Amino acid sequence: MTDKTRTLCSYIVLILTAVISVFPLIWMVIAATNSSVDVIAGKLTPGFKFIENYQNLLANQDIYRGLFNSFKYSIVQTVVSIVICSLAGYGFEVYHDKYKDALMGVILMSMMIPFVSMMVPLFRMFSAVNLLNTTIGFILPSLSTPFLIMLFRSSARSFPMEMIEAARIDGLGEFQIFVKMFVPTMKSTYAAAITVTFMNAWNNYIWPKVIMQDSSSQTMPMMISNLTSGYFTDYGMLMLAVFITTLPTAVLFLFMQKNFREGLTGSVKG
Amino acid sequence: MKKKIVSILLSVTMAGMLLAGCGSSAAPQAQAPAEGGDAPAAESAPADAAEADAAADAAADTGAAAGGDNTLTVWAWDQNFNIYSINEAAKIYQRENPDFKLEVEEVSWDDLQTKLGTILGAGNYDQLPDIMLMQDFAFRKYAMQYPDMFTDITNSGIDFSQFAAGKLSASTVDGKNLGIPFDNGAEIACYRSDLLEEAGYTVDDLTNISWTDFNRIGEDVLKKTGYSLFSTQAGSADIIMQMMQSAGASIWNDDGTPNIANNATLKTCMETYKMLFDSGVMATANSWDEYIATFTSGKTLGTINGCWILASVQSAEDQSGKWSMTNMPSLAGVNGATNYSNQGGSSWFITSNCKNVELASDFFAKTFAGSVELYETILPTAGALSTWTPAGDSDVYAQPSEFFGGQAIFKDITDYASKVPQWDMGVYYTEANTALATAVTNVVNGGNIDEELQTAEDTVNFDMGN
Amino acid sequence: MNSKRSGMGLNARRNFEGWLFLVPAVVLIVCMSLIPAVMAFVTSFTTGTGANTQWGGLSNYMRILKDKVFLQSIKNCFFYLIIQVPIMLVLALILASMLNNPKLKCKGILRTCIFLPCATSLVAYAIIFRTLFATDGLINLVLTSIGILNAPYNFLAHPLSAKIVIIIALIWRWTGYNMVFYLSGLQNIDYSVYEAARIDGASPFQIFTKITIPLLKPTILLTAIMSTNGTLQLFDESVNLTNGGPANASITMSHYIYNQTFQGVPKFGYTSAMSFLILFMVAVLAFIQMKVGDKRD
Repeated sequence: MTDKTRTLCSYIVLILTAVISVFPLIWMVIAATNSSVDVIAGKLTPGFKFIENYQNLLANQDIYRGLFNSFKYSIVQTVVSIVICSLAGYGFEVYHDKYKDALMGVILMSMMIPFVSMMVPLFRMFSAVNLLNTTIGFILPSLSTPFLIMLFRSSARSFPMEMIEAARIDGLGEFQIFVKMFVPTMKSTYAAAITVTFMNAWNNYIWPKVIMQDSSSQTMPMMISNLTSGYFTDYGMLMLAVFITTLPTAVLFLFMQKNFREGLTGSVKG
Repeated sequence: MKKKIVSILLSVTMAGMLLAGCGSSAAPQAQAPAEGGDAPAAESAPADAAEADAAADAAADTGAAAGGDNTLTVWAWDQNFNIYSINEAAKIYQRENPDFKLEVEEVSWDDLQTKLGTILGAGNYDQLPDIMLMQDFAFRKYAMQYPDMFTDITNSGIDFSQFAAGKLSASTVDGKNLGIPFDNGAEIACYRSDLLEEAGYTVDDLTNISWTDFNRIGEDVLKKTGYSLFSTQAGSADIIMQMMQSAGASIWNDDGTPNIANNATLKTCMETYKMLFDSGVMATANSWDEYIATFTSGKTLGTINGCWILASVQSAEDQSGKWSMTNMPSLAGVNGATNYSNQGGSSWFITSNCKNVELASDFFAKTFAGSVELYETILPTAGALSTWTPAGDSDVYAQPSEFFGGQAIFKDITDYASKVPQWDMGVYYTEANTALATAVTNVVNGGNIDEELQTAEDTVNFDMGN
Repeated sequence: MNSKRSGMGLNARRNFEGWLFLVPAVVLIVCMSLIPAVMAFVTSFTTGTGANTQWGGLSNYMRILKDKVFLQSIKNCFFYLIIQVPIMLVLALILASMLNNPKLKCKGILRTCIFLPCATSLVAYAIIFRTLFATDGLINLVLTSIGILNAPYNFLAHPLSAKIVIIIALIWRWTGYNMVFYLSGLQNIDYSVYEAARIDGASPFQIFTKITIPLLKPTILLTAIMSTNGTLQLFDESVNLTNGGPANASITMSHYIYNQTFQGVPKFGYTSAMSFLILFMVAVLAFIQMKVGDKRD
């Protein structure tokens, strides 16, 4: 196979995959312009109900507040998570010993229990320390995740120890090495981590719904849940709402993926 | 230098986060802001469930005694129906009590179950709202497991005798009234009269008939027009439950044990279901949206469900004037069989955490249990049908519906509702419904009815044993 | 680690600083996950419903053995795990290595498109998948018109096909997600390594198995553990696509646990016991995966 045919094959496979991947999103956009009856009838052509759906949605849910809340919580959660977990992932790998490896195992286990079973104990704890109904209580359980720690731990493995040693000889402190060398080098890992953390934070909904007693703290996923719970569901309006909810993560990824550049770091370990 | 700025920013946030991380883990109490919650109650939150009950009771007592706060919090779902209705009620009540305020938190029913389940499981009754809406089928579960979560309002001045008896039983335990009945779920059957005519039938032919006759007509209609008469959602036993209630037959023995395996009426229901499925008179849909589409996009020419299905039927605006409504078919050869049943519906409850029980019960006494005007307002706009009998005499209920070709559907539904047999849904309704759904699925795929019912009973017994 | 020993004092200090990096994350996990988990573990030894509970010893764990629905859900989850996870991870690897070609144009758009499924709202994608696989849906239309099927097949109404629909949905939704981690892992490999290998006459397949996979090993391990965990705790697809049906043929463990906790009469002890069984199963699998994949060179 020549280089050209290989590239052509890649194009065909990738474009096909991309089309299959995007199809539901396009359908969502089309559905947002149709009436409820047409949406569930499977109509695939755009309609004229977009403005009506939009007005209905505004009348039904305070989506601007929902978007504001969602952005507020997701951004805070993403920033804090990334900082805490990249520090930990780096620490677990660069200073690894058998204790830290064992601790990593324990941390991994903490994600293996369905959250449903932890809700009642967690609720008791939060109530005991008066964190119910608070922003901190909202985001605290999902700040530190084994997944992110492990992601940064595995990316730190490809970070050359020689660079660290050299920096130490230059007199850089351990924390400075992390900030000045690891963070800029691991741009692509950070890009991936930011996207998925934002996405998870954006969709995070059941715990906040349980502890927040305040309708002004509703986020977009909560509002979508509200839209589907009535005797009558307006699917056109619903599709508009889910489309709006999907957009931020998609746009964020589009910006973040620019950091995936081939071999920028110029370094392979091993 | 972009990189430099980024790294400086990062290190600053990181330092901040380190501090915050340590702070929140070491002394979270110190910085917990009480955002919009009812702080006085939260402060005395004991972890122990038993203590919490006592505290919640105490809180309720003091709250009622103080009576200074005129704001009530509500959990409810459905902006266009429940939330709209209680807000209209608040408007009416505010005329006499201008200080009165309702704060509604919208919680979908599934989320409400999760939220309520967590709060009750943790014993934090102080996190309950003053008022909450609850599906009738779930009431007994909560009343049996957490009797302390409700306030007994039997002697609160609300006249319960004015509510339909069948509906009232869904919010009473041992003669104690724990809730205020709200919407009506009387069973209706809607058909496209234009399509029926094509096959040579009218809606009168489908009124007051048995399922057997229904099936016979249905087969003829299917042959002539290609339409099934109605549809159900596959993997749901709701239609079985509706048939059971139409004959007043329970799936529970008097002692609360399941009466499934050797229940002749239930067996008739299963046979009826299989007959309708095999003949194609009843179509099945895999999900709720597909189910709605069967009749709004013309795959079936009708639907049989609780009267709240009207909102979905009427969403097919282009079919206005082509529909008609009647009662459901009855079980053939069953004692006490009627053409009336119920599906869905919910009631309002005052929780034991209510700060001002007097105010809350007065609110209900003057609105949902005392205002014809309220029901006159919410019927045309939201289609919220009352179970409060005085409202049924209102002129608004006699208004003809254009969509249904001038039929006074609300009057008819009110009439159906009064004929629905009383029925005990039981504590383990959800479990039984799930088990029967499995049985029904297996039966239409060729399973033996007796064996499947036995399996269903075993499953329910297993769920009931701890 | 090949750090040179330059005095115990410095090493001890460095070790201390190493622990400092972990403190915020570890403290949070201990408070937010481990302590509640221990409390749930204690609960798993109590029996009863709602607020009426008593000590029950191991009876909840014995009960699991007799719970036909839960045993069915275990089978379902392992079916999903064994079929879906390998297909998805291999696909993700292939897509990622294709996208890592610097000669490719429009990479940004392609990457974003392939990532999109996991960001797509569950509500919307559940509706569209059900519509596609409905009796009168697109899939049936295609299959009958090219003659594979004689009559339309109700995919969601049959036990095996319902499970396969879930697997297809899972692959569709999560392949792009996993691809992102491979992509970001590949960025840490110098592209000149590939060029050199190609000049040496290595075939694309050899490059893939000899260079890409070994260098991505830590990332592959990560995604394998996460996918195992995600599949055994699968909830969304079971609830939204099939509602566990037909007759529990596609129900997952988490779905059943959720139903038993919040839909039916609550049995916190029993549901905690089932949750710990999930923990046990995932932990064993993750342990094996770590043993195989978490070695440092």
